[in-house]
Amino acid sequence: MVMGEKIRNWLDVRIGLNELIRTQLAEYRVPKNINVFNALGTIAFVGYLIQAISGMFLMIYYIPHSDHAFKSVQDIMTIAPYGWLFRQMHVIGSNLLIAAVILHMVTIFLMGNYKRPRELTWISGALMLLLTFTFGLSGYLLPWTQLSYWATTIVTSIPTAFPVVGEYISRLFRGGDYVSGITLTRFFALHVSILPPLFLILMAVHVALIRRIGLSATPFGKSDEEKRPLTEFRKKTHPDGYPYYPYLVQKQALMVIVYFMVMFAFITFAPTFFFPEATTVPADPFRTPETIRPEWYFLAPYQMLKLIPNKFLGISMLIVVAFLFVFWPFLDTQKEKNIFRRPVLRWVFISLMIGWVILMWWGKR
Amino acid sequence: MGLYFTHDRVGNPYVVGKAMMLRTTLIACLLLFSQLPASAGDYREEFEKGFLTKTWSGEQPESNYCIECHSSDRMKPAFLEIAEQWKASWHAQNGIACHNCHGGDPKDPSMSMSPHRGFVGTPKYAEVPEFCGKCHIGILKNYLDSGHGKALRTSGSGPNCATCHGSHNIQKANIEIISEQRCSKCHPYERAKTMKQALFLTEKKIDELETGLRRLKREGVYVDDNARNLFNIQAEFRTLFHSVDVNLVNDSTSHFAGRLAVAEKRIQNTFSELRFRRNFAAFILMIFACMGATLYLIIKTPKD
Repeated sequence: MVMGEKIRNWLDVRIGLNELIRTQLAEYRVPKNINVFNALGTIAFVGYLIQAISGMFLMIYYIPHSDHAFKSVQDIMTIAPYGWLFRQMHVIGSNLLIAAVILHMVTIFLMGNYKRPRELTWISGALMLLLTFTFGLSGYLLPWTQLSYWATTIVTSIPTAFPVVGEYISRLFRGGDYVSGITLTRFFALHVSILPPLFLILMAVHVALIRRIGLSATPFGKSDEEKRPLTEFRKKTHPDGYPYYPYLVQKQALMVIVYFMVMFAFITFAPTFFFPEATTVPADPFRTPETIRPEWYFLAPYQMLKLIPNKFLGISMLIVVAFLFVFWPFLDTQKEKNIFRRPVLRWVFISLMIGWVILMWWGKR
Repeated sequence: MGLYFTHDRVGNPYVVGKAMMLRTTLIACLLLFSQLPASAGDYREEFEKGFLTKTWSGEQPESNYCIECHSSDRMKPAFLEIAEQWKASWHAQNGIACHNCHGGDPKDPSMSMSPHRGFVGTPKYAEVPEFCGKCHIGILKNYLDSGHGKALRTSGSGPNCATCHGSHNIQKANIEIISEQRCSKCHPYERAKTMKQALFLTEKKIDELETGLRRLKREGVYVDDNARNLFNIQAEFRTLFHSVDVNLVNDSTSHFAGRLAVAEKRIQNTFSELRFRRNFAAFILMIFACMGATLYLIIKTPKD
């Protein structure tokens, strides 16, 4: 008996490995019309994994102190063996990950998969997206560059538009009136020890819900879940579908490979795309750069706040939008899943997307 | 579940529902949070006093009353330009502010021009070299020993620093400062031309290395250490020039060439490292591309 088989048998008699593989991979059936967009969730999962692993390597050399943070990051880029690779993967990965998660949410929205009985799956996903933004915000300050310092100054000043508690929230993030060394340690704690466990809990809930409820059968059009009254739990199964392994696993693996290809294409052909010149200038609170702008995924709300003269109204609108986004499944009560048969929703969605792109472009100028 | 039993005033039992409990909890939370900013205020102040004043906690942006006053409508038009000129200067780009040269306290408007805070105002023409030489020490020494310095000392009309470099609008020095237009105002250009030729190759190399460092910076490489090293070499070399002694410049050129060669090697090594990184990433990209193509073919292969 070869070593591999011995190990497999050893595990099988103890944890029932063969049965686990059979029920969770081979006998677990997925709908026949499942498409590549269903792999976006897996891409996001792998993306988070890359962030966690590369982040662990970066933490070996990073010093969360305003006197040493910048230098330690430069040492990672120049002295630490392959430190540049881990940092590039972490920084480019964070941007790609946010793009992948946004795309995942958009496709779920377009396919109407947030509808009952998957409201909780949507909410956990939406909360994960908000946490991902917070990961991005907190991680952005850590290299302590001019860009990160002033971008954080902008973003942490946004809550001040909110009366009574706004100033308090801003000071809570900053640890004072200005972004300082205290902000750096707070953001570091947030980035590496507060957000990850919260995120892992949400991810566990999200994945458990997907497996428990079952995959939605039809991306477009009515599925039988809407046809029956929702009076009892019934797991959605696809007895006539394809086996999860190898059918969907192969597609997911292919999409993950494409994700890695995009990441390494950036590292090869555009290594400075996410590292503009200002990222090599240490933070200087005395010198305000000529152009300050937050990261691309905060540009639209940032520009919106700039355009609305009443700051309270602006931030209230942002909060309302965030609530609408998280609790959308409870607000959209129509049973029709196919967005192509819902002209009003379709045009609202298109207008929102166009508005978002225009605001981003405007904010970048 | 979720029902709590209690008694009314006359002792009859009744049920407090979930809603009541929830309401009480919410009110308690609201009271707690409304008190939080007030109670946290003292703590925050103490915390900030303890940490914000220490170096590690970062610096506080400060106001500069020199610039504020010199940019205000109250200022005479002639003095109004000073702030704008300074903002566009090489000094401003390198964080050298008004008080670094003129003294005074830029943080305190009442003491900003006080001699007690070291304010010295505008130096007289003959005092300009000492005024600039507070920082440019090596240059001052060579200048004072030079024909330029001696002329200023003896006749009071020789060129001072501002004659060639300007004052508030001072720009980064370069070899083009030595020009027929400028030098021939006082003496024939021939001698200055010989000096310019002696400086030329070393200055050209310094320019090349600066261009290389700028390229590296655009590539996302931190170059401050190399830039500082190059700046030191350049500053020492230019110190020599202020002696206006061509022989001294010629004799020292080989020494500076050696130091510049070391700096050049370091910059070239960084470029090689960047090439390696690009090739390494391209190799990984190719591996993933091959894996992707293979998997795609497997997926597309008809199953039995």
